[in-house]
Amino acid sequence: MIAFEHVGKRYGGRFEALANLDFRVRRGEMVFLTGHSGAGKSSLLRLIMRLERPTRGRVLVAGHDIDRLHPTQVPFYRRQIGVVFQDHQLLFDRSIFHNVALPLEIQGIEPREAARRVRAALDKVGLLHREKALPIELSGGEQQRVGIARAVVNKPALLLADEPTGNLDPQLSADIMTLFEDFHRIGTTVMIASHDLALITRLRHRTLRLHDGRLVADEEAA
Amino acid sequence: MSRDAAPARGARTHRTTAGSRWRGWLRHHRAMCLDSARRLLVHPLGSLMTMLAIAIALVLPAGLWLTLDSARLLDAELEQSATLTLYLEHGIGEDEARRLEATVAAEAGVAGTRLVTAAEGMAEFQQALGLSDALHRLDENPLPASIVVRPRDPSPEVVRAQAERLGELAGIDEVRLDLAWLERLRHLAALGQRVILALGVLFGLGVLLVVGNTIRLAVENRRQEIEVVTLIGATHAFVRRPFLYSGAWFGLGGGLLACGLLVLGRDWLSAPVTALAASYGANFRLPALGMEGSAILLACSTLLGWLGAWITVSRHLAGIRPR
Repeated sequence: MIAFEHVGKRYGGRFEALANLDFRVRRGEMVFLTGHSGAGKSSLLRLIMRLERPTRGRVLVAGHDIDRLHPTQVPFYRRQIGVVFQDHQLLFDRSIFHNVALPLEIQGIEPREAARRVRAALDKVGLLHREKALPIELSGGEQQRVGIARAVVNKPALLLADEPTGNLDPQLSADIMTLFEDFHRIGTTVMIASHDLALITRLRHRTLRLHDGRLVADEEAA
Repeated sequence: MSRDAAPARGARTHRTTAGSRWRGWLRHHRAMCLDSARRLLVHPLGSLMTMLAIAIALVLPAGLWLTLDSARLLDAELEQSATLTLYLEHGIGEDEARRLEATVAAEAGVAGTRLVTAAEGMAEFQQALGLSDALHRLDENPLPASIVVRPRDPSPEVVRAQAERLGELAGIDEVRLDLAWLERLRHLAALGQRVILALGVLFGLGVLLVVGNTIRLAVENRRQEIEVVTLIGATHAFVRRPFLYSGAWFGLGGGLLACGLLVLGRDWLSAPVTALAASYGANFRLPALGMEGSAILLACSTLLGWLGAWITVSRHLAGIRPR
């Protein structure tokens, strides 16, 4: 599903964020990405989302070199990836329902079909009863679940998450991870960047460990 | 991924997909059109100020253009009254004068002639100057008979050539044509046209800047929203759309206000202008914008608003990169 071939990324010609990354993620796999802050986890995810382009090597997603995508194709590429952010990136001037509906609105999905899918996604994260609420009325954990609902409403084949449990207490973090495992179970490729080592160790999935932009360990689930 | 990996499903499926995409596109246009109008109404005073700024920028060139347009009508009317006067040599009798008039009337390019005999000329002169007493004291009539010629084509070049030709006829002493002021008017009109064009371009740029500045603020206010929708796969067109509609609304509102201001201005000025024209013996009325003029003004202002928004949003989108 994802293949990094000797990928390097420099910022401003000097700072080397990522160096010689070489790994593959199979379709349907669930992978943790870990390392100290500044190790390059976010840069790696940004490369997959094509928010950045590698300065060396190739990034292949579903067999396509995404560096070769024409700028006009990039939005259509991004629609096939669900992304969950640490700070949720919700729009605070619209309801939970409309936040989750946003990806479908962008794709011009017919409203009735969109409403059906939004409710299914909200139901999955246990927030169907809050669809009319505004994000500000929700707790941090609930906001993150809205972010997850928005990421999966489109049924993406690839789900990326950048520190999805960063601001949550251990119990809520565990709940969120359980949600990701559910999506992994139905065949979605899931990649989660996190520095919550205790949680990662407990969950037993493949773990890529970055240190100063280099891949220092690739541990299969024990 | 699924786009490339999707198996070929045949034409029927593809057609419905294209159809639903088209409907989705229309739906978004409709939604953004209404949404941007709603956003204008949320801040009525601010929106009104922007529209007023646009209106003021539009009123001056539009008003000048209207004035020039009516001056051109006046010009055409004056050209109709452009005539040549052929003064006949002294001592030419009335019979011969009539024969000469017939000759002149037969010339090419002559639309009509009128013979003014020496006696008639004297009567007109007396009436015009109110000098009957002084003129009565003259022993004989010093005025020659004349033929007033109305040319078919009143343009100065043609009339001048015609005057030369007619001057060569036997029995004609002198040809008078008063074209200088007509030409001056024409030069003035040409000058006015250029000034208005320049003003129009300048004030059009002004409208672009006003709309651009307003839209720039709107883009900054919705920066986070733009970042989020870009992250989840919005095209530039999708992001731009609400702002383009805002720009068009601003332009349309400004155009409507400009139309209103022009109507008010016409009412305000029409009485003194008509009185002034009447004192010159002219029947001149201030021109109205009319349906066609209003439609052109509104179309231009809406287009300018849209264009201003397009330039600004395109410039800013390049600078907004999701974190």
